[in-house]
Amino acid sequence: MRPRNKWEPWLFSAPALIVYVCIVLVPVVWSIVYSVFDWNGISAMKFVGLQNYSRMFGDEVFVTSFFNNLFFMAVGTIYQVFTGLIMAIILTNITKGNNILRVIYFIPCIISSMAICKIFEKLLSVEPQGVLAAIMEGMGMEPIALLSEPKWALLVVTLVDGYKFCGLYMVIFYSAFMAISNDVVEAAYIDGCTWGQQYRYIKLPMIKNIFFVVLVIVINGTLKSFDVSYILTNGGPGSASELVATYTYKTAFSSTQFGYGSALSVFLLVESLVAVGIIRIFQQRAAKRD
Amino acid sequence: MQRLTTSKWLRTLFYIILIVVLVFQTYPMFWVLMSSFKTKQDMAYIAPYAFPSSFYLGNYVTALFESDLIRYFLNSVVVAVGTLVGIVILSAPAAYAISKIRFKQSEKLLSFFLLGMMIPIFACLVPMFQIYNAVGLRNTYLSLILPQIGFSLPMAIYLYTGFMKFVPNSLLEAATIDGANSFQMFSKIMFPMAKNSTITIIIYNFVNIWNEFTYANTFMTKGIMKTLPVGLNDFVGEMGRRDWGGTFAAIVLAILPTLIIYFFLNKNVMEGMAAGAVKD
Repeated sequence: MRPRNKWEPWLFSAPALIVYVCIVLVPVVWSIVYSVFDWNGISAMKFVGLQNYSRMFGDEVFVTSFFNNLFFMAVGTIYQVFTGLIMAIILTNITKGNNILRVIYFIPCIISSMAICKIFEKLLSVEPQGVLAAIMEGMGMEPIALLSEPKWALLVVTLVDGYKFCGLYMVIFYSAFMAISNDVVEAAYIDGCTWGQQYRYIKLPMIKNIFFVVLVIVINGTLKSFDVSYILTNGGPGSASELVATYTYKTAFSSTQFGYGSALSVFLLVESLVAVGIIRIFQQRAAKRD
Repeated sequence: MQRLTTSKWLRTLFYIILIVVLVFQTYPMFWVLMSSFKTKQDMAYIAPYAFPSSFYLGNYVTALFESDLIRYFLNSVVVAVGTLVGIVILSAPAAYAISKIRFKQSEKLLSFFLLGMMIPIFACLVPMFQIYNAVGLRNTYLSLILPQIGFSLPMAIYLYTGFMKFVPNSLLEAATIDGANSFQMFSKIMFPMAKNSTITIIIYNFVNIWNEFTYANTFMTKGIMKTLPVGLNDFVGEMGRRDWGGTFAAIVLAILPTLIIYFFLNKNVMEGMAAGAVKD
């Protein structure tokens, strides 16, 4: 449509534009400005240049949280994508009960991470006894408080986060499989293709793009993950399950180091942009090969 | 339809996996529900995985009347409604301008909005806190409504433009001939037509807003302004040590509204959340 006058498109988009700029973009720029100052919110701001950034590399907790986050991302991605894919494949292959099962599997996705964390906190509790501790005791083992055990805390946080989100990838993969035309499957059937070959050579390659979409969502989500670690273990014990986002949050709001906290949040921003960029490069390469 | 059938043992394996996953995905919820009916004696003397001895509702009475749970619930409702209304009335007209009014910068404007999907909320939290503190927005509903509107706009605009650009121009041209002005064209034709996009946007955002934790934990420090997730945290922190029954009842009450909505709209919710996630 041709605009009546040159103001027309802006009249419609200005409210959204103003809100978006004021709420999202101004604070981002503001964060970048804060990140070159030393400031605790009360005393005068002191310009320190890039010192906040160089400080990160010597900050043991930050380095730990960064590597924890890599583990969280790797294990979480494998767990969520793998479970989602397997469940989608199975559900597209059964006729009875597939709708109701899909609806039930998806339930953890719609429940707040707060509720999920509180439930797992109680399930895994040792004193008072939760289900896991009771089972371990019943089997004659010494109950382990997984959440206060440095060895286990990060893995539990990763798995609880995966538990909450794997249903989402199941639904995404499921609709991708359902979108594949029946003609293709029938042609394969006539050509004597077996069930396994059908996935290996036809269906999985056909949903390759969805894989990249899912990877972007999972990796982006796990790099910025906050809720489960913060609520379930508060990054602990020590910094055993600390992630970059939880450490950033605590630095800014618990130890009120707004300058250093802002530098960490800028790191988080750059890190997720780089990660998504890398996936996009792989995606373009894969597209070129076809 | 001809389908590649699976062998019998493979099918059996499938059903075994399905049942294992079913148990895994539902047991935590089932356990909380079951435990919420346990009396103090049950808690102390029977195994944590055992069934309650009776259908005891006392824990629900405790959770509802000895805490601010109802208040938290109302806070969550106000925030959710405010945010959803804001998202829809801001994003729909913007998407209309981008997809249906021809102007030079429309593509650039869309990319500019989409940039927002890449920004983690943590990159904004410190300045937001400073700004909201300075203008007295902390501990008001607006401090949760505004940031959530801002961060949801990119996705909503993207979904709306995705639909609107396929609405044939001839339809709007016919309306022009009938004398409709552009505001009427948007409100009487385009917006009603985009009903399904609106539903998707509302459902996807509702689940996120209802479960939102970070802003609520940062901006709402006053007890009675807390939303359900943060309120639940306080409740469990306070009651968790001495009253597990009440805690379980509170968790059940907190997840019940979403489950009820999901019970009726499960297909829309699944599709909406998948569409919201797959925005590329």
